[in-house]
Amino acid sequence: MKIVILGAGQVGASVAENLVSEDNDITVVDVDVPRLAALQDRFDLRTVYGNAASPTVLRDAGAQDADLLLAVTQSDQTNLCACRIAKTVFNIPRRVARLRASDFTEFPELLNDDNFAVDYPICPEQIVTDHLARLIEFPEALQVLDFANGRITLIAVRAGEGSPLIGHPVRDLRRNLSGVDARIAAIFRRERAIMPRGDTVIEIDDEVFCIADTEHIRDVMHQLHRSEKRARRIMIAGGGNIGFRLAKQIEHHYEVKIIEPLQARAEFLAINLDNSLVLKGGGTDEKLLEIENIDDMDMFLALTNDDENNIMASSLAKRLGAGRVLALINRRSYVDLVQSGPIDIAISPAQVSIGALLAHVRRGDVAVVHSLRRGAAEALELVAHGDPRSSAVCGKRIAEINLPEGVTIAALVRNREVAPVDSTHPRARVERNYEVLMAHHDTVIQPDDHVIVFCTSRSLVPAVEELFQVKPGFL
Amino acid sequence: MSLIAKLLPLDNVVLDLDASSKKRAFEQAGLLFENHQGLARAKVFDSLFAREKLGSTGLGQGIAIPHGRLKGLKEAVGAFFRLQTPVAFDSPDGQPVSLLFVLLVPEQATEFHLQLLSELAQMFSDAQFREQLLTLNDPSQVHQLFTSWQSHAPDQRRAAV
Repeated sequence: MKIVILGAGQVGASVAENLVSEDNDITVVDVDVPRLAALQDRFDLRTVYGNAASPTVLRDAGAQDADLLLAVTQSDQTNLCACRIAKTVFNIPRRVARLRASDFTEFPELLNDDNFAVDYPICPEQIVTDHLARLIEFPEALQVLDFANGRITLIAVRAGEGSPLIGHPVRDLRRNLSGVDARIAAIFRRERAIMPRGDTVIEIDDEVFCIADTEHIRDVMHQLHRSEKRARRIMIAGGGNIGFRLAKQIEHHYEVKIIEPLQARAEFLAINLDNSLVLKGGGTDEKLLEIENIDDMDMFLALTNDDENNIMASSLAKRLGAGRVLALINRRSYVDLVQSGPIDIAISPAQVSIGALLAHVRRGDVAVVHSLRRGAAEALELVAHGDPRSSAVCGKRIAEINLPEGVTIAALVRNREVAPVDSTHPRARVERNYEVLMAHHDTVIQPDDHVIVFCTSRSLVPAVEELFQVKPGFL
Repeated sequence: MSLIAKLLPLDNVVLDLDASSKKRAFEQAGLLFENHQGLARAKVFDSLFAREKLGSTGLGQGIAIPHGRLKGLKEAVGAFFRLQTPVAFDSPDGQPVSLLFVLLVPEQATEFHLQLLSELAQMFSDAQFREQLLTLNDPSQVHQLFTSWQSHAPDQRRAAV
């Protein structure tokens, strides 16, 4: 695929990195020469210097031949303008734009083909915020990821001291969950993937990825972590874009305290948040943390745009008695460094949000991509198409599908016809118009099923894409 | 006579088209169908791309059969393009493509339309046929090649795709 990426920042660089190893022809446009040079040194791609919203620059970048435009500069205006030019002048068939301001989504007509011509708007800040909100819901989880519009949840936990799973085979999970079907999609033990079988015994410190119908995920979590208790008190250090969004999103469900050092920003927060306590100060201020009862906090999140600050603040909070501590960390090497230290969860914003972009660049009908374990593994939601003649998956039992080693089909979502409910009837039961099926060896995949596939290594993804693609004779 | 014969007008055979990418080839296809059959080029382009997203229509050996369903189209229609320079097509053998048969079918596609695709696949699996497509220099000769083609083994049509 020929792809033009506008913007060589965090987002642009990580999506480029994810794509270069594959069968793609990539051009990156930016006005930052050192950044372009750094990308070109590391990867096999082409760079073009210039304003991404200029028709001549886009032409130089090969817009006329491009299959896909990823407009991910830091400027919404540039991204919008580039999409319009890409549509009008170059007829690029698919256009993705990063939009940081949330108000564009309130006016969807602005993005249609008559206006800015953005096929898929993406807001990395919102994706990171949603991700954090899900983690607050399940404080013991390392990751909580949604598939099929939230109908299926994948949860990653570390089997810690006191976890009822330790020393038991995987099959006991299902036995303990009477009536609830769940799947352990993968286990990572000392950084290596183990393909879980019924008799695989879970050890302490295993990283377990478990998938279930979202309605049952709490029951499942309870099995993985008996101590699971809901968080109530949350402290956020840093009232920037993400800190503010998160506080706004959760302030009516939790007791939220938010710390912000800048006077003007703190005032903004105080005006725009209805139910949070805004504190002016620094996240590494030991006195402030103590006065504000850091040891009572169920969760502490360091969300400033300064990696070092986040690492120090969350380490300090942990030592002062906070429950779970989380730090946003942009630099990849830091993320690896701190994961085993006092910080419970280290999150790389680029890694969390990359999936939304990858869903558009993966080959085949891919609905959702989640990048896992700092980009090393991946979970995908693919839509099956075709019949046994034109597809390698449709009409087949899962056991018959030729999956590469390291790949599991974990679950699927199937739409079903539902008789219209008489809503005037007082006891009308609204039936779900879909079913969530955990993958069994004899489950038959049907056309239009949304299939959740777990790849223990990113290098396996091309084979999965291949598997789900229809043959040339599919109409 | 082949099934393809009825849906490939002589005008829709284009030799040595200058297109630098799959995208440009699809644009040219849209333009041709707009000029000759009165179909909206943007619709043709979108339909071809949408199908390609589900899986490449590249057959290997430098050949592709891009196709799509088109709302409002009454009867299937085709066009053949030979490109000056091969373009990347994500084919199973990784080879770039220079011979494209573009097929458009009505939205309610039938078994007949599947047969068309399978006939195309069978035609292109014939090495001699491919060789002639690459060497003939007159569109009418190429057209003749398509229309006069006869299946050697009609029972195997299905198996070819």
